[in-house]
Amino acid sequence: MKNILIYLRLGLRNLLLYPMRTGLTVIGLGIGIAALTFLSAMNDGWLQNMKLNFVLTQMGHVQIHAQGFEQSRRISDYMGDTTLVDEALQSMQSMQGGIQAWSHRIRVSGLASAAGANASVLVSGIEPEREKDVSRLHTFMQQGTWLQPGDKRGVVLGDVLADRLSVGLGDKVVLMAASPDGDIASEVFRVRGLIHSGVMDVDNLLALIPLKMAQHWLHLGAGVTDVVIRTNSFAVVDSVVSNLQQRLSGKPLEILRWQEIDPMAEQWTMFAEIYTWVVLLVVIIVVLAEVLNTMLMSMHDRVREFGLMAALGTTQQQLFAMVVYETLVLVFIGGILGFLLGGAVSLYYGEYGLDLSQYATAFSFMYMSSVVYPELTFNGCARILVAAMLGAVLAGLYPAWKASRLNPAQAMREI
Amino acid sequence: MSDHVLLEAGGLCKYYHSGGSDVAALDQVDFQLEKGAFTVLSGRSGSGKTTLLNMVGLLDTPDMGSLHIAGENVLALSLSERANFRLQRIGFVFQAYNLIRVLSARENIAYVLQLRGMKKTERLAIADHWLFEVGLDGLGNRRPDQLSGGQQQRVAVARALASKPALVLADEPTANLDSVHGESLMSLMRDLNDRCGMTFLIASHDPVAMAAAQQCVYMQDGRIVSVATP
Repeated sequence: MKNILIYLRLGLRNLLLYPMRTGLTVIGLGIGIAALTFLSAMNDGWLQNMKLNFVLTQMGHVQIHAQGFEQSRRISDYMGDTTLVDEALQSMQSMQGGIQAWSHRIRVSGLASAAGANASVLVSGIEPEREKDVSRLHTFMQQGTWLQPGDKRGVVLGDVLADRLSVGLGDKVVLMAASPDGDIASEVFRVRGLIHSGVMDVDNLLALIPLKMAQHWLHLGAGVTDVVIRTNSFAVVDSVVSNLQQRLSGKPLEILRWQEIDPMAEQWTMFAEIYTWVVLLVVIIVVLAEVLNTMLMSMHDRVREFGLMAALGTTQQQLFAMVVYETLVLVFIGGILGFLLGGAVSLYYGEYGLDLSQYATAFSFMYMSSVVYPELTFNGCARILVAAMLGAVLAGLYPAWKASRLNPAQAMREI
Repeated sequence: MSDHVLLEAGGLCKYYHSGGSDVAALDQVDFQLEKGAFTVLSGRSGSGKTTLLNMVGLLDTPDMGSLHIAGENVLALSLSERANFRLQRIGFVFQAYNLIRVLSARENIAYVLQLRGMKKTERLAIADHWLFEVGLDGLGNRRPDQLSGGQQQRVAVARALASKPALVLADEPTANLDSVHGESLMSLMRDLNDRCGMTFLIASHDPVAMAAAQQCVYMQDGRIVSVATP
């Protein structure tokens, strides 16, 4: 806009005319924006951490099931033969198609019994060695050993589940589940290890057994319920899914992204987005509250000056713009201070982590780690900057409108 | 309106509402100002001098009457057109609070030129010229609070003249100055009127101003009661 420099200069100098008032406003703005920058970074860090934990704890980035399995969760909806799926994955992996690893699983709900205690379980038949490349389950070993190839009757339990059943290493556990034909099958296993992940679903419910044993026990032949895929990153998930859909087109399979596997993950992602909007709304309110009062006081002090400027030929639009520019200058300075402060705190905790382990139980159901690493992202900062500037414009509108509506003759009579 | 007439007002009225009744600040004022005139509006406080000056300067709007400046019906202009008219055609010197306090003397003078879109080097050169003209050479970088009242008024005069307006309006320009500085300021304005040919309309009841005038217009109770040539 024409004459923008003179108004920016006037704005800056008017702000410097009252260093105490301007300084307090800038400090208030700076602290507010710093806190919100940190909160935004925490949110981004949390979300990233949650996504990663969700995917790597056991779900994978992508899962392939027989059509309808995710909805029914019935063992009868299993894939009898995964050859085509394996070939497609093998081909994509060799062509650098975003596949890092995959493994097969059988997933079935059942009942565990041991020495008079019973508990619901989620039995997961896994390929012990391949599973290590797909999930972090093996890293959660607290006692004992991971499932060994050839150990047909070994079971690894979640530690809370083991407590409920009052079993420890070497104890017997009977697992019962329905086979595809509807018969209840039971099998005896011996506890080889206990895991603790911090995730409620894993620690309270999971019983890991060898895939071969699960197939034999539940009469599935070579069948599995899940092919769990780990991709190279979140960014390639969509292209991997799209590629797999093309390659497996026409087969009675469902190919699901990580967000589709557990509605909870989708809800938490949505929650994080809503939280971001709340942070941005608070940014606007903080800026409004801080700046509006200062600008109104400044307006009051300068009524005659505005009258003089109008008399000299400054138009209403120019006076309006001048006050808005002044507000923007004020918020920009406060914003820079806030970003420096909030950015420094975020970077520090991004490096060393913020230990919230005393609240670990609260986080356990949503795949959150007890140590949070805030992520200072360009997008996060840009959003706050835009919100702060929007707040500045909103805060400037009323004083600017008042300034532009002044009658020059009346304004110059003001004392 | 003949070519030598710059300003022509007919039947100007302005009423203010006070104590349940309308008070006429201007009451059927007919007035002409010739190009190059140096006219002083005189009269007691409350006689309507400043109100007339505000109408002529397009700072306020009359309730009735007509007003033409340089052949243009200025009462028909919109608010933004009036602002532009003031910018292009009228220079102002007020009684006090004349300058923008965060700008230096030079920047104050250049402000109007900048609003007109003049380039920086050109406008600063003009500002320096007018600082020299009003005897403030070397004080261009001072802010208003670093100048005396007389110096501030000189800067205001320089600002009013720097854009070479058709009409310069001054409202009690000597009111806040001592007699020496008041006399000096009037002498300066008269000198610039002689040399530059700009038209001056000054509202003042200061005898020094009246003594400098080519024409004195006396006002009383919102009316022009006499016109004299000292």
